[in-house]
This record gives sequence, C-alpha cells and structure tokens, in this order.
Amino acid sequence: MLTRIGIRLPLILWSLAVLYPIIWMILGSFKTNAEIYANPWGLPESFNFQNFFDAWNNYNIDLGVFNSLFVTVLGTVIALILAVPTSYAIERLTFRGSTLLFNLYISAMMIPMVLGWIPLFFLLMRIGMLDNLFGLAIVYAVSQLPFSIFVLTTFMGSIPKELEESASIDGMSPYGILWKIITPLSMSGIITVTIMNAIQFWNEYFMALIFLQSRENYTLGLAVDFISREAVYTNAWGTLFASLTIAIIPIIILYAIFQRRISKGMTEGAIKG
Amino acid sequence: MVQTKKQKYLFLAFCLVPTFLLFAVFTLYPLLSGLYFSFFSWSGAAADREFVGISNYITLLNDGIIPRTILHDYFLVITKVFGIMVLAMYFAVAIMQMKIKEAPFYRIIFFFPNIMSVVVIGILWMFIYNPSLGLINSGLEAVGLENLTRPWLGSETWALPAIVLPSIWAGIGLFMLMLMGGIGTISKSYYEAAELDGASEWQQFWKVTVPLLWPQIKVSILYIVITTLNGSFIIVQIMTGGGPNNSTHVMGSYLYQQAFEQYNFGYGATIGVMILVLSLITVFLLQRLLRREKVQY
Repeated sequence: MLTRIGIRLPLILWSLAVLYPIIWMILGSFKTNAEIYANPWGLPESFNFQNFFDAWNNYNIDLGVFNSLFVTVLGTVIALILAVPTSYAIERLTFRGSTLLFNLYISAMMIPMVLGWIPLFFLLMRIGMLDNLFGLAIVYAVSQLPFSIFVLTTFMGSIPKELEESASIDGMSPYGILWKIITPLSMSGIITVTIMNAIQFWNEYFMALIFLQSRENYTLGLAVDFISREAVYTNAWGTLFASLTIAIIPIIILYAIFQRRISKGMTEGAIKG
Repeated sequence: MVQTKKQKYLFLAFCLVPTFLLFAVFTLYPLLSGLYFSFFSWSGAAADREFVGISNYITLLNDGIIPRTILHDYFLVITKVFGIMVLAMYFAVAIMQMKIKEAPFYRIIFFFPNIMSVVVIGILWMFIYNPSLGLINSGLEAVGLENLTRPWLGSETWALPAIVLPSIWAGIGLFMLMLMGGIGTISKSYYEAAELDGASEWQQFWKVTVPLLWPQIKVSILYIVITTLNGSFIIVQIMTGGGPNNSTHVMGSYLYQQAFEQYNFGYGATIGVMILVLSLITVFLLQRLLRREKVQY
C-alpha cells in the first residue's frame, strides 16, 4: 500500500508543473531582455511596467483588447438572443420534430467545423462581412449555439411546469411567459452559458485568423501571435510576455469570481460529445 | 386566454426560425458547401472555379504528405488519450480517496489551463522550448545535462512530442473533474463490501472504480478523440505551422496551408471531407470498442 506522502507527491509536482509556467510568464513580463537571456528561471530585478507600456502603446495590444471585448460582448448577447427562445421551445413546447431539431443542433458539436470554414470565408466575403468584427461576432455566436442550447435546455427542464400554466390561465401571452417567467428562472443557466461563451470568444484564434485581415481588426489572440512572430526578429520578448499576461488577466479575474460555475459549465458541456 | 392554433404557431416560429436560419446559413450551408467545393478546382477568383469531378480526391490519394498528416493526428490522439486519462484518473482517485484539506486547491489549479487561450498556451510553450531562453534547455544545463538540450520545436523528431505536452498539460483538469464527479456518485458500500472480501486498494480500483466509472471514462475518451481530430491543428499552427519539413503537419493545418496560404480552396475542401469522414469513422469504431467493455452491475 502506498503511503499518503507517496500519493500526494504527484499532486504537488503537477501543481508546480501547472503553476510555474504561468508564474514564469507573468514574471517575464517585468524582465528586461538582458534579464530574460541571462537568467531564464530567475525573478526580475525590479517590477517595472515598461513592457506593458510598450505592448499597449507600440504594439497595438490596446486595439486587440478592445476588438476582443467587442466581439466577446456582441457574440455572447447574440448567442443568448438566439439560444434562449429556441431552448424554451425545444424543452417546453411540444411540436413535431423537436427531438430531431435538438439532435441536429447537438450533433453539430461533433462535426469538424474546419470543413465549413472555406465556404464560410466566401460567404462572408459575398455579404461584405469578411474582415469585419460584427460578422465575426455572428459567426462566433452561431458556433456556440449547440453548446448554449444544450446547457439551457437542461436548466429549463428543471423549472416547474405549473408556473407557466398558471401564468397562462392568468392571461399572460407566451411571449410574456418566456420573458417574465422562463428567462428569470433560468438565470443561473443563462449566466453559466454567458461565462462559457465569453471565455470561448475571448480566447478564439483560428476563425479570427481566417476571417480577419487588417491589423486594426485583429483580436487579442491575433495581435499576440503577430508580436510572437515578429519577436523572432525584434527580440521583443519582454513585450511578448507582457501581451500574453494582458491576454490572461481577464480570464484569471473571471475564474477567481466564477470558479465553480466555470468548471461545472465545462464538465456539463463536455458530457455532450 | 385561449390561444388559437395560429398564435401558437406564430410563437413557435418566433422562437425557432431566426435561430435556425442563422444556424443554417453559418453552419449547415458551409458544411454542405464544403462537400460541394471538393469537386472543384478553385483559386478563389470567381472566374477560376472549374468543376473537376473526383480529381481532387485522386490528388489526395497520391499526395505524399496526407498519410503523414493522418499519422500525426492519430499520434496526437493516442498520446493525448493515454497521457490525459492516466494522469487525470490518478489525480481524481487520489484526491477523492484521501479527503485531504487542500483538495479544493488542486481542483482550482489543475483546471485553470483549461480556460486559457490556445494562443497563449502555444506561445507560452514556445518560450519554454526556446533553445536559448527557454525553461527546458536552461534547466537541463543547470543540472549538468547540457548534452540533452536541443532545439525542440526545430527538430523533426521532437517537434510533435513537444506539441503534445502542452495539450496534455492544458487538458488534464477538465477530465479530472469529470472523473471526480463520477467517483463521487459511486456508493461507498461497494468499497466496504470489497474490503470485507479482502480486496486490496489496487484490486478495488480495477474491480470497483473502473467498471462503475466506465460511462465517464468512455465519454472522456470520446471527447478527447473528437476534439483532437477536429481541433489539434490550432496549436500546431501556432507552435510550428506544420514544420520543420512537414514533421508536425496534421490534417487541419495542411488544409489551412492548402486553402488559405496556397489558395487551393477546392483541394482544401477535399482535405476537409477527409477529416470529416475519418473522424466519423473513428468515433463510430471507438464507440463500438468501448461499448463491448461495459460492465453491468
């Protein structure tokens, strides 16, 4: 039988393996280039914010932050506007084909979307939404529809049916029921979906790479990637560390506040596949 | 208020139609259209589009890089399934059975990389592998193993394993939580009975935990396989772009290169169809394989 320490040791080692690279990245953002080369493992000599200043002002990270914020907020709002009524209809209104429709949405989670990105590229071009943050937000919102519908139907399924029935007898229209009863009562699910989608959109890289072209439209991921490719020639490693840190700060804050909800939302979303 | 049939249908349409229309336009149409594109030769300009039948598929069969990309994808699938499942299982069982005070700490820390952006993870690990300023080489030098240092991502042998490691690093937390959820639902009485029968902890693990946890294990494996086949090209694109000398190209990164860098959109779509077919076949076979092992209690 293993001793307790023997069991615990891998847990401690893995904590270090997870934490150290992230801490190293944050520490690196305070180092000068000379320090990064001279002492990769060490602490910075002083905590100066020059790298953050450079990243923000000289490397367009500010634009990346605002563009990412824009697509994240717009994408999550559109996803909710689309997913809430559909989830309600699928979960609560009996209509022919509701199971089929649900399965159609859910099975989209298993399909490799990369096949669809080529036609999507030309479609966005035709409707003038290529290299357009609004277009990207719509694409993002639709891409998270399957997940959103999956989670929301689960939450709505636990709302007692009697509430809707009595509201209906009292003369409330189905629109009113959806807006004044179902939406507030599934707020917990709506918040979960919103956080999960927001993280997804904030972190997204590949669709942005394909569908955005001009630098002023770059989302944070693209901007960071751009600096990373340039750093090979410019050696702006400190700036790159700082941009990476800027990219994960909102995620750290969100995680600190909603840790339980995020891990629950993700494991629930994962069970779909 | 009694609803008329018409009002009911109007409300249904209000709920379903806008969502479905956007889903059809931005998901269903592109997927079907991708299939259609695979029968064309197309550089992107409208005038250049030419129907070529199955010619792209013949090119695909004769393309020497394709078998390598498929091999690389399955290398990633297999190493990720084993790496993630073994470690996640160990951590989940250890945390659940020890009832240690710091368990919440591990849950929070291990899960955090799961919500980090792939770009950040990819670039961070590029740093870690950096030959001159990275953690690995400088760490090896510090402990006197400088003959083991190498340009990890620049080596045809080591680049692909170097890409798997961050994927495992970032993936473990989620599956650990899923397995922990499953272990939490296993009744203590099974373990008590097993202990009365004289089963060791190791036997309890194989005879009680694994069979009763099978639904979660199965879902986790399927999920890793699907997400790897459908999405591993993102980290490849960030870390190596398929190089050096195609040694890390996976199906998706090769598609990206063909379509969006070399403007062979028709051929790119053909590669996309291949990815779709291969992942559907893999999932189907895997589901059969995993079903046979299911144990009933």
